[in-house]
Amino acid sequence: MAEFSWLSRSPLEHALVVGAHGARDVASGISLTEVRNFNLIQIMARRGKGAELASAATARFGVAAPAVPKAVSASDVTLIWSGPDQFLVLSKSGKHAMDILSHAFSQSASLSDQSHARALISVAGAKARTMLAKLSSIDLHPTAFPIGAAAATSIDHTSVNFWRGNDRPDGQPVFNVLVLASFAESLWRTMLDAAAEYGVDIGLSEELG
Amino acid sequence: MVSHAQSHRLESGGLIDRSAPLNFRFDGKTFAGFQGDTLASALIANGVKLVGRSFKYHRPRGILTSGSEEPNALVELRTGARREPNTKATTTELYDGLEAASQNRWPSLRHDLMAVNQLFSPIFVAGFYYKTFMWPAKFWEAIYEPAIRRAAGLGRAAGVADPDHYDKAWAYCDVLIAGSGPAGLGAALAAGRSGARVILCEEDFALGGRLLADGGTIDGMPAAEWISGTLAELATLPDVGIMSRTTLFGVYDGGTYGAIERVNDHLPSPPEHQVRQRLWRIVAKRCVVAAGAIERPIVFAGNDTPGVMMASAVRTYVARYAATPTRRIALFTNNEDGWRTVETALGAGLQIAAVVDARPDVSAAHRALAGKTGFPVLNGSVSGVDGGKDGVRKILVALAGGARAEVEADGLAVSGGWNPAVGLTSYHRGRPKWQDDISAFVPDGAPPGMVAAGAANGAFGLGACLRQGFAAGAAAAQSAGHNGNTGTPPVADDEAFLLTPLWHVAGKGKAFVDYQHDVTASDIELAQREGFESVEHLKRYTTLGMATDQGKTSNVAGLAIMAAVSGKSIPETGTTIYRPPYLPVAIGAFAGHHRDENFHATRLTPSHHWAAEQGAVFVDTGLWKRAQWYPRAGEKDWLESVTREVKAVRSGVGFCDVSTLGKIDVHGPDAGAFLDRVYINTFSNLAVGKARYGLMLREDGMVYDDGTTSRLAEDHYFLTTTTAKAGPVMQHLEFCRQVLFPELDVQLTSVSDQWAQFSVAGPSARALLKQLVEESEDLSNEGFPFMGARQVALRGGIRARLFRISFSGEMAFEISVPARFGNALVRNLMLAGKQFGATPYGTEALGVMRIEKGHVAGPELNGTTTAADLGLAKMMSTKKDFIGRVMAGREALAAADRQVVVGIKPTDKTRRLRSGAHVIPKGEIPGSANDQGYVTSVCFSPTLDQWIGLALVERGRERIGEIVHAHDPLRGESYDVELCNPVFYDPDGGRQRG
Repeated sequence: MAEFSWLSRSPLEHALVVGAHGARDVASGISLTEVRNFNLIQIMARRGKGAELASAATARFGVAAPAVPKAVSASDVTLIWSGPDQFLVLSKSGKHAMDILSHAFSQSASLSDQSHARALISVAGAKARTMLAKLSSIDLHPTAFPIGAAAATSIDHTSVNFWRGNDRPDGQPVFNVLVLASFAESLWRTMLDAAAEYGVDIGLSEELG
Repeated sequence: MVSHAQSHRLESGGLIDRSAPLNFRFDGKTFAGFQGDTLASALIANGVKLVGRSFKYHRPRGILTSGSEEPNALVELRTGARREPNTKATTTELYDGLEAASQNRWPSLRHDLMAVNQLFSPIFVAGFYYKTFMWPAKFWEAIYEPAIRRAAGLGRAAGVADPDHYDKAWAYCDVLIAGSGPAGLGAALAAGRSGARVILCEEDFALGGRLLADGGTIDGMPAAEWISGTLAELATLPDVGIMSRTTLFGVYDGGTYGAIERVNDHLPSPPEHQVRQRLWRIVAKRCVVAAGAIERPIVFAGNDTPGVMMASAVRTYVARYAATPTRRIALFTNNEDGWRTVETALGAGLQIAAVVDARPDVSAAHRALAGKTGFPVLNGSVSGVDGGKDGVRKILVALAGGARAEVEADGLAVSGGWNPAVGLTSYHRGRPKWQDDISAFVPDGAPPGMVAAGAANGAFGLGACLRQGFAAGAAAAQSAGHNGNTGTPPVADDEAFLLTPLWHVAGKGKAFVDYQHDVTASDIELAQREGFESVEHLKRYTTLGMATDQGKTSNVAGLAIMAAVSGKSIPETGTTIYRPPYLPVAIGAFAGHHRDENFHATRLTPSHHWAAEQGAVFVDTGLWKRAQWYPRAGEKDWLESVTREVKAVRSGVGFCDVSTLGKIDVHGPDAGAFLDRVYINTFSNLAVGKARYGLMLREDGMVYDDGTTSRLAEDHYFLTTTTAKAGPVMQHLEFCRQVLFPELDVQLTSVSDQWAQFSVAGPSARALLKQLVEESEDLSNEGFPFMGARQVALRGGIRARLFRISFSGEMAFEISVPARFGNALVRNLMLAGKQFGATPYGTEALGVMRIEKGHVAGPELNGTTTAADLGLAKMMSTKKDFIGRVMAGREALAAADRQVVVGIKPTDKTRRLRSGAHVIPKGEIPGSANDQGYVTSVCFSPTLDQWIGLALVERGRERIGEIVHAHDPLRGESYDVELCNPVFYDPDGGRQRG
């Protein structure tokens, strides 16, 4: 009998080539990094259970889930606002997986596994805002979109969850994009085109940072 | 080739970089210029006067202005695929190797045979087309229009795809400033110092506006020094951005502005990875329009002779570019500002032939200067020009007393006053108001958040520009919430303007109002005589202001002439409506990145790259790329491949990626009750572990969508939609949940992208899957009956969902795994199915099998059909309410003679069917009176070995066996078909239950 292997394959596997892309005569202004191997769970409060979900979330994650468009991080998890009384739980693979969270929130929420439904792309660097201004209609000025700001928006006509992470050690901003898996390659190519003139450093992270 | 000497370049001065010489070509001749030149200034520096031929009469034309208002100096810039017609030489930055050609002449600019049009000029008057080419109508497209377009026209489009890239970007600011003259820089200083986020757009490549040509003293220092000091200060402010080569062209709702940045137009081609132009959408809380003013010509005979130039343009070419358009110049002015030209010309060593001043009083200072320098000052008007394609020779002057004079000159500078650039302030249907002291229209209000300052607001003095700009910048910043210290405003004196209006000087010969469209003063008089007195009629009848320059130099003069002949004042005559864009903007910039393969986003299925490896042919279905069929070596066409795939499924096993179906998690204690309301059939009684086909209606009773929904847990249903309606159904259900039924405890999440889903179909489907699942999983008919749905463990350690549903009519399952395992799944299906001849099949085979099985799909679920039309009336529950129930009961929707789904077969078994053919009773004449429906879906059925189809036919189900006529006027076909049961294959469903 045949042996079956189940290799997980990212929707960006085909398109992503680690290394330099675009202009070479400038210091790379953009880092585009795909992050793989994460758990992403959508949690939505059951009717009238918003407060109950909020306290269950605080108990489970050690931080309050965002009630407004923000992303909040604890040591091993990021909670990303996705609508009233609902949020996404992003964590390293296995940490907060579907079966574990289902149990924790069974009284207050409906859960839906989105771990395979999205690709996670991080856009960072000195030119990140300039490049994203080509794709997103959101004002990314530091005062308008501070660290932790989040939006459920569209980029290049593709719906995404978008939030600003902590700055890189070199002080450059980091923006995170969760894009629907089927759109990922298309958006990736668009991002490469938008970033090419600034010099791109394409990276891959096998684990959520 | 040796460059010609720059015969008209001054020895020194100007804002050109003499250490950076550039070569360029115009009409095949090589010339030299410098970095910092425009094409126009470089042509002037080389003594070139003739640069184009006019639109209608092919009259020789020279450079009139030095800015984006230019009506004459339009060229074809660049060559080959990059050729851009109608490009203004006056705003084209010179670069090394630039190539430009004059337009609208044949065989050459100097010897233009089309100039014969001038001989017929008496008939080319306003309304010429309307009067002449009235009939026969069919001649218009075939003869008149092509002939006219050849003779009268502008440059030639490249005719091939633009090789360059464009993109679009968003920007935000508190204060947006249009223009970098004294008012704009003043506004930027005040707003920037107060801490506001500022964006300043300047269409020129150099900052400073008129200061670059006219200079002046600001804060006790020369203008140039003040500009560099100001720019240095602005550069220290972190939130002040200055965008040169950027024109603000429009204002839209909610404080959104359109701007076009010519990122790399000043280079032969954009550097690698860079765009040619970028379209900006700028969202600004406040906007200060400091766009300046446009000097206006005076209309007199021969005013289009090369060498007649706006006075401000003469100053710009001499002072900014050190290029002298003329050696012995006359000036014709009706205002004090025009006299500045004398100063500039004398400073550059030019001779002043005469100043013709239309005003009765000329200041003693000017007269003293004239006396000292030795040029005459004539009180009167220029009534004609003696000259031609080689330029001006003589100026004819009508003196105030009635006498005539002649002045020998090789150039004429004209100033009829200045028109504030009221475009931006008027784009929301604003109508500017008349201001008497400058005899010009000024803004009367503006779109929300916008204010005009400086010359754009009718304040022409340098001091006033600075004061207004600074105050407007400070006020804009403050109202946007920034109260920082704005510091000291810059100060300068105000010059006198003292204008006496003069629009038109009577004389013999053509006097042009609109240079670009060849509209003369007499055209306007004719329009008035023929009743086209309203300015909007005047515009359309004469085409005044309708050229690519939008009448920037001509509209007000045209209105003034109309006012004079109709006996009204200019404000009574009024202005036409102002519309964006302020300048022509390339369509490519609006398209941005969205062209060719990037025209829209694409969606790929989890097995996409595997299918591509197999050589699949893909079809666009919405945004998706789906495998349409998998050709194999030796197959001669798609039909052969598709037929093979169908036969493989029907006789063995095949699989197809159906991940494109919409998938929705429906959670919550009321999930079943919710589904009962959105589907016509009942789901609350569906057992856990079971799937059911569901049909939903629109509120109006028509069928909306269909699909299977499975119950995975008491409070969890997994709903599927069609590929096409995945998004709309999700929106519809969210609307139902949030708005219609907020009392239900139900939650929805799209999981379309979470699952890779494959249909595995055929008599060997179960055998294949048994290879793949753990031994403990029971896939037998008892253990996994038809319409069963549950999780199964797969060999190798992952779990899948398995649904025993069939679209093909065969024994079939749909298997789904988390999407990142989709690629592994398709490979494992091949592995597990090897011994059964497992065959991947595409959307064509899928379609063939569903037609053979009589399943309805997109062509039947077309928004005009009811459940009963589809033969699904029995699914409509009578025990509950659901969306669409009431409206579906309307008389017309329940009528007995509705067109309903039936099968069709050609009476000639060898005939090919085509969808779209109309169904008429046999023996009747085709026509709307006898039209009884149409063919919706067809295929070649490998199983029946003939073409079959589905059709919507009036009373079709009662007419099974009847021979009707299929009439296809589109393809010129007509043939008989038999109406039959739509289920061609396995009508009792034994195979799928097998």
